Amino acid sequence: MSGALVSRLLYRLLLFVCMAVLAPGLPAHHSVAGMFDMSKEIEWTGVISKIDWINPHTYIYLDVTDADGSTVTWQLSTAPTAMLRKAGLTKAMLMGDGAKVTITGLLARDGTKHLGWINKISYPDGHFYQFARSPR
Amino acid sequence: MVTSINSRARRVEILLNMMRPERMQRILKILPIAVFVCSGMPIELAAAPDLSGTWDNGSGIDFINPTREGESICLMGCDPLPAAPAANAPAANPPRPIPKPDRPAYRPEFQDKVRDMETRQVYADPVIRCLPPGVPRIGPPDKIVQAATEIIFLYDDVSGNFFRVIPLDGRPHRDDVEASFLGDAIGWWEGNTLVVETVNFNEDTWLTDDGAFHTADLKVVERLDLDDDKLQWRATAYDPAALAEPWELRPRTAVRAESEILEAPLCLERDLEHVIDETHHDNPR
Repeated sequence: MSGALVSRLLYRLLLFVCMAVLAPGLPAHHSVAGMFDMSKEIEWTGVISKIDWINPHTYIYLDVTDADGSTVTWQLSTAPTAMLRKAGLTKAMLMGDGAKVTITGLLARDGTKHLGWINKISYPDGHFYQFARSPR
Repeated sequence: MVTSINSRARRVEILLNMMRPERMQRILKILPIAVFVCSGMPIELAAAPDLSGTWDNGSGIDFINPTREGESICLMGCDPLPAAPAANAPAANPPRPIPKPDRPAYRPEFQDKVRDMETRQVYADPVIRCLPPGVPRIGPPDKIVQAATEIIFLYDDVSGNFFRVIPLDGRPHRDDVEASFLGDAIGWWEGNTLVVETVNFNEDTWLTDDGAFHTADLKVVERLDLDDDKLQWRATAYDPAALAEPWELRPRTAVRAESEILEAPLCLERDLEHVIDETHHDNPR
């Protein structure tokens, strides 16, 4: 067996193990792994400008300002509002007070620009809302 | 007048006769039995527990176990808490093991379909497309309104609010309604257990979140009990045309909810166009 084949098999095995480890951290709607890149976590800093309080997935719009001063709005989805509400979360709690928040999450696998998934939102005073396990 | 005096004398005579020692002994012997029989009947009739209330079944997903620490809330994948909570802070829920998927076994001739539905579950899932989840997938009710002759189950689920009106007056299943997502239910009491039998389902729902299909012959029997003020929900799916054997779901427990159920937000599917393959994970519900 060639070294290349062995390393390819090892890579596939590693990928499989990673997916198996990450899978239980996903929300009920199992489309997440088919839609977002589970291999690396992204971090955004910006201001939440709008929330689509809908099922089957909540959508949060984050205005991110680049170093050159231009602002881009990211569409970031997360768990269903049905689950957020039962955990005691409201739209107003997610919106915060308009201050900058830090969001960690995943990028869309289909290459759609400025589309992502939220694992966790952290607010300036230190409190956070976490919706999924972060990849390590 | 004479008749009246005679009548009163006769009544006194009867009374004195009843109070004779040997008579009193006989009455005292049967008195406990009479008391037991007379008092037992109303107790038996009033025995049905009141299941009314708003119930929290943890969003219906076993691995969703929200924890709170101060103002922070974590739904999933929560790290161990960094420090001991303050004395007046709400206690965090202990981490729970993730249960294995709970799925029915199918007849041999359906194995190809089982594999196909499991593979295509993301694209085929009716709930992702905002259709009603069906029974038993919907799980225990989020709210129960109980009356003497009917009981009403209310749900606040991912794809919307749903209701089931379940007659308890002994009537049979209806034969004048179309097959539906939540079917036609009747209920009755077996001791302290509410039994709900539902039939007349369409074939557009799943038994689980991960592609467990059923036929129109599906019958679901749910059993609800109150145990230490917690709602215990069990359900069994009978579908001999597709299932190898009746499938009894993992039991669920709901506790009294701290908040009222609300009008469900709109369900709008906008993800599937971005899903690029059939990657999925098993849902343990």
